[in-house]
Amino acid sequence: MLSIQNLHAGIEDKSIIKGIDLTINPGEVHAIMGPNGSGKSTLGYVLSGRDGYEVTEGSATLNGEDLLDMDIEERAVAGFFLAFQYPVEIPGVSNMVFMKEAVNAAREARKQEPYTAGEFLKLAKEACKQVQLPLDFLKRGVNEGFSGGEKKRNEIMQMILLQPTICFLDETDSGLDIDALQTVANGVNSQRDPNRSFVVVTHYQRLLDFIEPDFVHILADGKIVQSGDASLALKVEKEGYGFLGINYVEEDV
Amino acid sequence: MNQWLEDVIAHADTQAAGHAGATWLSRQRALSLDKLKDNAWPTRRTEAWRNTPLKPIESRPALLSPMAISTWQEPAIPDFESIDIYIVGGELKTDISTLSLPAGISIYSLHDEKAAALASQFMGKIKPETHVFGLVNDVVADAGIIIDVAEDAVISTPLRLIHTATEGVENHSRLLVNVAKNAKVTILEHGIGEQESMNTSVSEFNVADNATLHHYRFAFFTQKALHVGGCHFQIGESSYLNSTIVAFGSELSKLNVDVNYLGEHAKVDMNAMYLLAEGENFDLQSVIEHAVPNGTTDEKVRGIIGDRARANFGGRIHIHPDAQKTLAELNNRNLLLSRRSLVNTKPELEIYADDVRCAHGATIAEIDETSLYYLLTRGIPRSKALVMLNFGFIQELINAIEDESIRNWLNNMLSNRFQSMEVQVS
Repeated sequence: MLSIQNLHAGIEDKSIIKGIDLTINPGEVHAIMGPNGSGKSTLGYVLSGRDGYEVTEGSATLNGEDLLDMDIEERAVAGFFLAFQYPVEIPGVSNMVFMKEAVNAAREARKQEPYTAGEFLKLAKEACKQVQLPLDFLKRGVNEGFSGGEKKRNEIMQMILLQPTICFLDETDSGLDIDALQTVANGVNSQRDPNRSFVVVTHYQRLLDFIEPDFVHILADGKIVQSGDASLALKVEKEGYGFLGINYVEEDV
Repeated sequence: MNQWLEDVIAHADTQAAGHAGATWLSRQRALSLDKLKDNAWPTRRTEAWRNTPLKPIESRPALLSPMAISTWQEPAIPDFESIDIYIVGGELKTDISTLSLPAGISIYSLHDEKAAALASQFMGKIKPETHVFGLVNDVVADAGIIIDVAEDAVISTPLRLIHTATEGVENHSRLLVNVAKNAKVTILEHGIGEQESMNTSVSEFNVADNATLHHYRFAFFTQKALHVGGCHFQIGESSYLNSTIVAFGSELSKLNVDVNYLGEHAKVDMNAMYLLAEGENFDLQSVIEHAVPNGTTDEKVRGIIGDRARANFGGRIHIHPDAQKTLAELNNRNLLLSRRSLVNTKPELEIYADDVRCAHGATIAEIDETSLYYLLTRGIPRSKALVMLNFGFIQELINAIEDESIRNWLNNMLSNRFQSMEVQVS
């Protein structure tokens, strides 16, 4: 499904990702952990195609297609979904209109008829209930005035509606209280499917109690330094990254 | 003196000699002609015209002889029913005597002696004399209507005055509306055209005590259709004015809006939008005079400015010493679509009373790259994402439009206009 080979990328002249190899098969859940500044968010940006992030070496393919050669919106309709660490507030654009446009763009790419307003409203209401957001959030501006937790629920609602094939969740657990964490995790688990894969970026083992990963990777200084099963996350939780002998400078990218 | 003004004055002198028009009209034309002759023609040093050079007008002859035009644009608003009156080529094209009007409303032409009492009371007296093109319109506008809404009349069918630009002749239209006590009416002014021409349209509104006016002004003059217009309101005690202004730009397009509070407890909601495509110019100047206590103004102005387009906004709220307990808010926000888009904005509050609540502000922004990125990551095509972000910017004002048909029509039309606009995100 998603195959990343020897990926090198950075911003301007600064190299951030320094050779990542990662293969994600259908139905798998991969957790990525690692100290701040190790390149976790950058990986999400590079895979989604954000402007300013340049790939200097390596490749990434989604179902055999060159992901890096696609425009941002093409990657999305090809099935790549990025749940933002900091979802963007867009006042004036209603959440409903936003999601309907997004879902219908994906349907158009799949040669399906666009949903009518009525059909979509029904789906949106269901998804809204599933992430436990009040229905009036559909009418509000995209993330406008939402709390941190509400924004993350809104990301998961979009994921549920868009039905992507690979979901990259960038610290979706940060800033969530335990109930919101449970809701978000339930949302993710409800979407687990033999044909859908997840990359879950997190600092905390806690999320992985709810979303059980098949693989855990530790990213440090732009490289995967260790991979293992769920027990690796427990070890990190207990011991920190010291056992890996990582010397890192704390910085946010 | 420039060619155009010379022609205007010569035309007016000839007209005065021939005593054309109703008595009151001749009298007013003579008064305004004197003022026009005395009035200094604006230059770039005139504050009100600093950012809008008059060169495109000055260099052309004034084409003031009416032309018999038989076909013109009839802008339809789907599902919207209104009584439409056309002014084309300097002539009133609608036979107002044959209109079937609801009870409580009367319409007169500028030449109707029956309108003398109303005209003498209000015509030329609501607009400030400082507007040079208001004086020009006084002396040259021959096509116009006077609308009188009787006391207590609630008119549910909107009236629409359509003035269209045409090549080879100038279009100067005039409107006076009296909304008497407790009356309620909706008036649309719909200006449209792209042909090479000079156009003025001046409207005056008296909104009497406890009356309600819903007003729309669409200044859709584009390309080579030059336009200078004015909307001037005076509002009585406990009256309500709701005005929506939507403008595109042309080689030169300008609109002056004035509101004068005559009675206490009146309220004004004014929403203005200018949406300038490549190379267009538009200038909006609004002046709100809070002369009496307890008035409320909420003025929101949003502009989207395309590549090499230039917008100019001046908004002044003047709170007189007696105007205690005034609530006034003025807010102008602009979105620049390219590095070569330009806006000058100048919101002004002038306050001489001490017990008031006022706020004003202006912002200028570019398309937010992070917002665009967010929409794209959801698969929304770039062109649509840009339209959504632009629309987000003005949606609040469109949503505030009460009439559903107008709201839907503007939504579609403006969306199409955005899609054709080039956006550079840097």
